[in-house]
Amino acid sequence: MEFKTHISVKNLNLWYGGQQALNDISIDIPDKKVTAIIGPSGCGKSTFLKSLNRLIDLQDDVKVNGQVLVDGENIYDPHVEITHLRKKIGLLFQRPQALPMSIYDNVAYGPRIHGTKHRKDLDGIVERYLKLSGLWDEVKDRLQGPASKLSIGQQQRLCLARSLAIEPEVILGDEPTSALDPISAEHIEQRFLELKKQYTIILVTHSLRQAQRLADYVIFFYLGNIVEHGPAAEFFRNPKDAKTQAYINGRFIEGRKADKELDLKGTVCPANFVKAKLALEGLDEGKVLRIIVDYEPAVSELPRAMEYEGHKVLEVKRLSATDWEIVIQRL
Amino acid sequence: MDIRKFKDLFAQRIMFLLCLFVLNIAFLMAFGLYMRAKPILEITSVGDLLFSLSWHPSEGQFGLASFIAGTLWVTIIAISIAVPFSVFTAIYLSEYCHKKVRNTIKPVIDLLAGISPVIYGVWGIVAIVPLVRDYLMPFFSERLPFFPFVSDNYTGYAAITGGMVLAVMVFPIIISVAEEVIRTVPFEIREVSLALGATRWQTIKHTILKKAWPGIIAAVILGLSRAFGETMAVLMVAGSALHVFPKSIFDPAYPLPALIANTYGEMMSVPLYDSAVMLAALLLLVVIALFNIAGWSILMYIGRKER
Repeated sequence: MEFKTHISVKNLNLWYGGQQALNDISIDIPDKKVTAIIGPSGCGKSTFLKSLNRLIDLQDDVKVNGQVLVDGENIYDPHVEITHLRKKIGLLFQRPQALPMSIYDNVAYGPRIHGTKHRKDLDGIVERYLKLSGLWDEVKDRLQGPASKLSIGQQQRLCLARSLAIEPEVILGDEPTSALDPISAEHIEQRFLELKKQYTIILVTHSLRQAQRLADYVIFFYLGNIVEHGPAAEFFRNPKDAKTQAYINGRFIEGRKADKELDLKGTVCPANFVKAKLALEGLDEGKVLRIIVDYEPAVSELPRAMEYEGHKVLEVKRLSATDWEIVIQRL
Repeated sequence: MDIRKFKDLFAQRIMFLLCLFVLNIAFLMAFGLYMRAKPILEITSVGDLLFSLSWHPSEGQFGLASFIAGTLWVTIIAISIAVPFSVFTAIYLSEYCHKKVRNTIKPVIDLLAGISPVIYGVWGIVAIVPLVRDYLMPFFSERLPFFPFVSDNYTGYAAITGGMVLAVMVFPIIISVAEEVIRTVPFEIREVSLALGATRWQTIKHTILKKAWPGIIAAVILGLSRAFGETMAVLMVAGSALHVFPKSIFDPAYPLPALIANTYGEMMSVPLYDSAVMLAALLLLVVIALFNIAGWSILMYIGRKER
């Protein structure tokens, strides 16, 4: 199968402080296909994704060299207009993040900042993209209601509509379904399959099955390196590298294991914050705490609170209909 | 009972009592002030005391209106100057500048908060009084000869001088509270907005301030309460002239705290004088307490919501 290249990464190196997070990454990402990036936690998948729209610039002490060519233009060129670049690239996060405004304003936010002022135009945009993300029927009667009142699954679809509303060419997804319930996750996956006709989609995922269901092209990351990449069918049928084989067959030992487990089922706010905080403070720096919660608000609020405390949230994952897993590193 | 356990229990009780005592001081003060202010309230109505201009203690006239007006003048001037400076500084510190710059600037700002008011007063006399006398006052009252600029006070000791000095004194309070509030806005919100192609300023204007404004209001209220109660620096530069109702920002102002500090204990032979000053003190205490309660309630409400 022949692929047309949309984004071309050449010798990309990235350091956090003194630590190298990406090692000489070179890869061509195909146009109007779903590319899945897989690999164990902390292997640089998300970092790589954020380096594609330069959101990585927001971290302190990041150093990047190498080239990322989007439509033939190097985005790390100092003359690049960063707001234009980001307008070309929509991003979905692991935890959906509604902006503190109404559902309507969330979708209209992007077009507004890029200069669409007329109410009529905005009405059309909001309707079109809410329909495209499959949320319209659920929210059409409460467009002016606060977006934060939506369920997590709905919020993620809202985020998708918001990203689409800036009319990007590329959609990046950083494990966009891992915090969702199975039905919402399927909703989002369906959208991706429809959207790939018009957009280049790059998806970081933890789920091999999801990669198999969605991807046309697969990249396997390990410890900041690309171990293997190729068309999905071939990649899964016939992986060449031993590490890839191990990962695909589920025999892979995760690079990072939790040093402590904390079960917060049946605990609500703010008791769960206090317990999580104390547990983290009981650990040594760099150690990892795995928390299980079954209280939906905690899924977004607990990681936020712990980040505010200065810790690093590595992962939020839905385990079952009622339970979520939150993995946090003590810093 | 074991002697160790007894000591432990004893210590606990003692500390509880001490804690209770500390907590009660404010209430005791308010109560004491009220008791001392009562005699004058029995003779004159609160309305007369608050709104009458005539302050002639020897004739038994204790109108506090011009002192209240003086307090309001300096406070309003101070806040109008301080808010733009401090809020934008806070935004710069939390949103734009590098972590290293922030970590250097913040201690300096906190240092500003720790300087003794009398030093601000001296600085006001040396720097701000001449500035007002030689430049601001002649310029404004000639070019804009109407309210609130016209004045015949050429000394430089005026409401605006007090306001300017006060503004510098409330900078650190507003900056540090506002900066902290802005930084509690989740990082992801910035990421979302910037990832959509917004500039930093658009992100701040449309999302961050939307989340942070109640906290910024709280910061301003806390600054306001500091400005309201500040005594020494204002006393030194605001003019403190009796029988002048400040109609202009260049007129001398005599705020309540200055009145209390200046006259308490001096004219105690005048009947009810003591009581009138106590009333002024009570007024100040109540207003500042209300400001503080409002400010901290907003901050606590935000804190609960964020956690």
